Amino acid sequence: MTASSDTASFGLSTETVLVTRRRKRLVSAIVTTVLLALVVWSVDVTVVKDTDWERIGSVGNVLEATNRFIGIDVDLFPTLLGPAIETLLIACLGTFLGVIICIPAAWFGAMNITPFKPITYPLARLMMTLSRSVHEIVWALFFVAVMGLGAMPGVFAIAVRSVGFIAKMSAEAIEDIDHGPVEAIRAVGGGPFQVFFYAVLPQVLPQIIGVVIFEWEINIRRSAILGLVGAGGLGLVFFRQMNTFNYHGVTTVILAILIIILLGEAISHAIRRRMI
Amino acid sequence: MTPRDMSIATAAEAPREWRRFRYPHSLVSYGSWLIAFTVIVYSIEYLEIPLDRVLGMFGRMGEILANRYYPVDIDYIMDVDYIGSVVETIQMAYLGALFGLLITVPLAWFAAYNMTPSRLFVYPGARFLSMSCRAVHETIWTILFVSILGFGMLPGVLALTLFSAGFAAKLFAEEIEAIDMGPVEAMWATGANLFQVMVFGVFPQVRVAFTGIGIYTWDVAFRAATVVGFFGAGGMGWYLKRNVMQIETERVAAIILSIIVLVLISELISAWARNVVMKMK
Repeated sequence: MTASSDTASFGLSTETVLVTRRRKRLVSAIVTTVLLALVVWSVDVTVVKDTDWERIGSVGNVLEATNRFIGIDVDLFPTLLGPAIETLLIACLGTFLGVIICIPAAWFGAMNITPFKPITYPLARLMMTLSRSVHEIVWALFFVAVMGLGAMPGVFAIAVRSVGFIAKMSAEAIEDIDHGPVEAIRAVGGGPFQVFFYAVLPQVLPQIIGVVIFEWEINIRRSAILGLVGAGGLGLVFFRQMNTFNYHGVTTVILAILIIILLGEAISHAIRRRMI
Repeated sequence: MTPRDMSIATAAEAPREWRRFRYPHSLVSYGSWLIAFTVIVYSIEYLEIPLDRVLGMFGRMGEILANRYYPVDIDYIMDVDYIGSVVETIQMAYLGALFGLLITVPLAWFAAYNMTPSRLFVYPGARFLSMSCRAVHETIWTILFVSILGFGMLPGVLALTLFSAGFAAKLFAEEIEAIDMGPVEAMWATGANLFQVMVFGVFPQVRVAFTGIGIYTWDVAFRAATVVGFFGAGGMGWYLKRNVMQIETERVAAIILSIIVLVLISELISAWARNVVMKMK
């Protein structure tokens, strides 16, 4: 009866322990049942009823449809270089613009340095949530509608989309800073701007640069598809190949995207490791 | 004369100059800023961004928002059909995240350096699989699956499955790599095989973290699910596509608004659920 002697010292009887244990088991059983019921219902609605099984046909048909994609269109290589560079540069510029928008967002969104808590703090939080909750495709659609086709709406879509993550991480980094320098700058009469640039920024800069590089890596992934809604880069080539049913070309573009992303990942990994 | 001697020499007449970075470090630091700056300028040049028009753009943006998107068509998103599509989206995200997590468990096991069955063959393979799931954007997966399986929610579910698997596998593998190896070694010592070690030595340690990651994955998958329909895979994305094509901007605004509200709700639910799970630990 080790359980009873252990729990007796905390003022619990074996009875209560058993009751809580039983209740816990009941709760987990209920949660599991509900989750499983949801699975059954969702599978029934989405997979069984909504799928056009006649169009899919047999397993052979699916394999045949998949087989169309296997192969590489060599003729496409020269035309891929320009869009590939464009994709990379859209990601760079979008991240840069995102960082610029982030500076006020992170400043206002950090509890300890926000200039006027009741207004600026919720405002910054709203900015971050808004930016994160809307998908990059939707942002791109909006900016394409406003600015017309081309690389520029892509840059803006990526910038706006990356604000949420960078600002949130930066604000958290700022909330964790050492308060000594902040008080020192305040004590010699520094205003909020001077406090931010001379006391806060030097402390958090390495962390923020790490976050920005990580976000840049994600942004390459995003900029590679923005062309699907008319914002330049490899996505546009992908869209064209898909619409002309050149399946080998589609595979080639996907491979190109993979290569760029691998490149970005290698660069980001190298920089972050050297910084830390 | 080295810089140090100079500074000593000048210290007599003027206060010594303070620099944040000294010579070799400063070169690297300023050099990297310079490279970053060059890349930015070059991209503005290459992408032909009309800098003179950028500022005027904001006025136009506000005008367009106010004139075309403003009276948000709330009735449209209160429609029964639309709410049905929202439920479909939630189901797709739920199934996608769930199937993705089912794939993730073995994938993360194989991709965790300390527990993988074979560091030579299985580890790189699993790493490559999880990385390529992550690298290819969910919309591309959707387009591929739609072109293979036809329109409907099945391709959406499959695309979200791969997306969630790529997303969760990395986090989960990192979690496995960070476990306490004591229990694992104890189990090896008693002669347990790899499977037993995983089930009794590793999973109890990462169970709570995995539940948290699972809930977060659902949240992220829901965000992705709002647009997979845009490429023909059911859910509210299809409504978005239709209205964008018809330039029904007020309805588009309403749909975007509903996406924001739903994502906020899902974020709140996931934060609450993760809190509950953490407390149960």
